Amino acid sequence: MTIFRYTLIRSFGNKTNLLFLTLFPVICIFLPQGEPWPPLPYGYQYFGIVMLFVGIRLATLIIEDRVNGVVKRLAIAPISYLHYLSGHLLAYAVIMVLQCVIVVYGGVAIGRELAQPHLLLLLYVSYSFVALAIALAWVSIFRSKDTAFLVYMSLIFFMSILGGLIIPLEMFPDLLKRLAVLMPTYWLERGLDWLVYGERMADYWIVQGVLWLYTILFVTIGSFKKLY
Amino acid sequence: MRVISTLPFTLLRMLKSYIFLLLLLVVPMLLLTFFYFILSDAVNESGESYLYETAISQVLVFQLFGGSIVMTFIHYDLFTKHKERMQLLPFHLPMYAASIVACGTLFSIILGVCLMVFSHFVLGVMLGNELWMLVIICLMAILSSLVCLILTFSVKSFKLAERLSEIYGIGFVVLAGLFFPMPQTPFFQFMGSYGNPLALSIMSVKEMNRGNSSEALQYACILLLAIAVLFVVMLLTGRRKWG
Repeated sequence: MTIFRYTLIRSFGNKTNLLFLTLFPVICIFLPQGEPWPPLPYGYQYFGIVMLFVGIRLATLIIEDRVNGVVKRLAIAPISYLHYLSGHLLAYAVIMVLQCVIVVYGGVAIGRELAQPHLLLLLYVSYSFVALAIALAWVSIFRSKDTAFLVYMSLIFFMSILGGLIIPLEMFPDLLKRLAVLMPTYWLERGLDWLVYGERMADYWIVQGVLWLYTILFVTIGSFKKLY
Repeated sequence: MRVISTLPFTLLRMLKSYIFLLLLLVVPMLLLTFFYFILSDAVNESGESYLYETAISQVLVFQLFGGSIVMTFIHYDLFTKHKERMQLLPFHLPMYAASIVACGTLFSIILGVCLMVFSHFVLGVMLGNELWMLVIICLMAILSSLVCLILTFSVKSFKLAERLSEIYGIGFVVLAGLFFPMPQTPFFQFMGSYGNPLALSIMSVKEMNRGNSSEALQYACILLLAIAVLFVVMLLTGRRKWG
């Protein structure tokens, strides 16, 4: 649990990180409702993008460790690689789940119309794990923190646009509509859509299942490479 | 005038900064292509195609971020451990700083022109009066460089200055209402029109294409005024930081 604790402290120690981790979710609560699209208020749509950013910001701590040689020192300490990685991931996951709780129940508290807040929270939590897993897989390729962050930023643009978080999917031509299915953001969008218009519970669990598959896939890719 | 001999190298360094090229050239190109597929047939109430509108705003939006290359170079050359080495060199340092700013702004303008050429020839978007658009792109590039420099000079930590410059860019995109409609209060209405460089430049280009050159000029003059004011602020903050 030591690694877990210190990762939490480190994530909140940096001022920019602190801003990212608390201010942005709070802003999301207050964004207006769109007519007729998106189904939930804009903030809840864009929270999906914020999550991707939060994921990469948190995961760059791992690059920092690798560059500074902390990981090498850990290698001779009586700590396994699994222990190190799981401690980090757990801390990040706790932070992200906290943000989801703030966004969903903060919204409920000030009276936003969120259709089914509990299911929404569950959807966000699964999605935030995907965001974290992708970020983990991403940072395992890079050696420099800034490069990883900046290149990932352009990836976020595409994931969010192609997934239909910024532009409604109905406007897409057929080919793009099919390609969109590959994006995790598409499944978030589909889940959000279900919360308002959905009928069969099974559809919701399909979305959840796909998100978890993505999580498993990317965590596997991300943890393949030893971090030093 | 020894500074002139450094110009090719400054430009070369900028051309080799792949991350900036990726973020300021490749990303907008892909975005434009993407919008081309989605919006190619859509037309708004006044008969203008959505693509035309989107192309103009895309080209100008990315000018808001063009100043980041200037601030990175200025910081790296003049405020890190290079500072003392630079002071030893036999040339006029303020001139060198000015040359970096000029090169960075030129670089940003060139990227803007590349985007214009791309949307005109590859995607076939009619941008209307392209010469006027070039003027506006120049104004936006200068403005963005000045804002980024002021941030570099007035904030202690460079990381924070970088984040603030991103907030400057994204903030004005949001305030211009490109992400979602802003509330109709006097403050937001002002920040979505006269108080917003992005909105001003988009309106100016559009008015010029509709033939209202006097209004287009008026919007450009507001931008020029902002540039003049910020230039003085930039000089003052820069002197304080250097001294």
